[in-house]
Amino acid sequence: MTRKRGFDTLDSAPQWILAFGGAYLLTHLLVIYVWNNAGPGFSVRGSSGGTSAFPVTCMAAVGCWLCLLVRRSLPAGAPLRRAWSLFALSAAAQAVSGAAAQLLGSNWMLNPLEWGGQARPGTIEQIHRCALIVGGPVRLVLLAGGLLVALRVLRKFDFWARPTTGDWAISAIVYLFALARFSEAGAASLAGKPTGFEDWVSLAGLPILCVLVLQATLLRQSVARMGNGLIAKCWLAFMGGIFLTAAGELALWVIPHFTHAWGVEMVEPLIGLPSAALLALAPAWLVVAQRRAVKPSSVSAEDEATRVPVLAR
Amino acid sequence: MHPSGASLIAFCDAEAGATGSRRIAGHLAKCARCREQLERIKREKNELAAGAAVPAAESRQDLDAVLAAVAAWREGRHSAAAAELRARLRGQLETYFGARTAAIAERPEIKEEELFGKASAMIETFLGPGATEAVWDDVFHGVGWAKAAEETRQ
Repeated sequence: MTRKRGFDTLDSAPQWILAFGGAYLLTHLLVIYVWNNAGPGFSVRGSSGGTSAFPVTCMAAVGCWLCLLVRRSLPAGAPLRRAWSLFALSAAAQAVSGAAAQLLGSNWMLNPLEWGGQARPGTIEQIHRCALIVGGPVRLVLLAGGLLVALRVLRKFDFWARPTTGDWAISAIVYLFALARFSEAGAASLAGKPTGFEDWVSLAGLPILCVLVLQATLLRQSVARMGNGLIAKCWLAFMGGIFLTAAGELALWVIPHFTHAWGVEMVEPLIGLPSAALLALAPAWLVVAQRRAVKPSSVSAEDEATRVPVLAR
Repeated sequence: MHPSGASLIAFCDAEAGATGSRRIAGHLAKCARCREQLERIKREKNELAAGAAVPAAESRQDLDAVLAAVAAWREGRHSAAAAELRARLRGQLETYFGARTAAIAERPEIKEEELFGKASAMIETFLGPGATEAVWDDVFHGVGWAKAAEETRQ
């Protein structure tokens, strides 16, 4: 069989993603540290949310491309091909939503709709709202759909196991959080306070997030039964991405209740990019596994050393 | 532009046609790399021809012995080749899935056919047919079937 060469960039995709995510995280922690010491004279809160959207969008685009690479390697009708299609769509939803919200859904000078003032009134707001829906509940539904297919496959190969008490405890925290959010929204509605569109979208995503957390616990069990190979790392990354998304939602809700020192805009980038990076890391590990299978270093070295005739192989 | 491997083989077999042969010969005159490749093709062709010159009866016996060794391996009868293949499969499963999955290759109650069937289905489902083919290529690459055949004969 013909061995392909020149995969070096893709072979180190997980390392690149981890390095970029790590550097981004460290930079943000440094900024928060500086802000804490510099005090209100140094305005970070107004800018950090905007700066985080671009790397998250780029990371989602990278994740989408890697998912498509994995999908392409699976034949039509393969059980996991549908799962990778859904994962690719989920990442694409995040990338498109991020790009649309930042580029077309904001009132700023680089928005083409703003040029010449030709945009109809409310168009930018509608684009922003659509982007919120696509990047929120729609993205989560696609991710949950893909994981459902993947979990069925894992069950077929005996990797599936029941969640443990610890898994149920983690899930319970997220369910209680969702319940608290709905209660809070209900109480506010009864008190006559209007619920904003962003809050409605966020609430719509909560039930899906609960399903995702349950799926992530099942993934955790499957990975525990599988081991620590490259394919296991792929599902582990999905699990980490989902847990981090849920933890982020929880943190963004809890922090304003307890402290006003840290704005939501400051915490959001600490969660947005790492969770997007973990979700991009999942297909990256699988791409590495596929490349490794097609180009094992040991055989190449052996062939070079022993000069096994190519025609005889 | 260098001629492809197939073109060089055709040239070697005098099947490249007059125009093709002229073009390749012209290229060979100035390209050391292609000359070397042509030499290797000629050498391999001679090796294969020498293999074919072995008396038919002897080749047949060897082939039967190798086939018997493969059959013994598939039925799960212990042999050096079977142990080697299990170890190789274990290594592949450990790389792609992990140590816990790879442990199935150590279970003596699982027969070779069942084990390889299950592993094949797993690798193909998660990595696709291209990667699966390459993995099997690695598992079976250079297995000592001749030694196993000797064992089977004895």
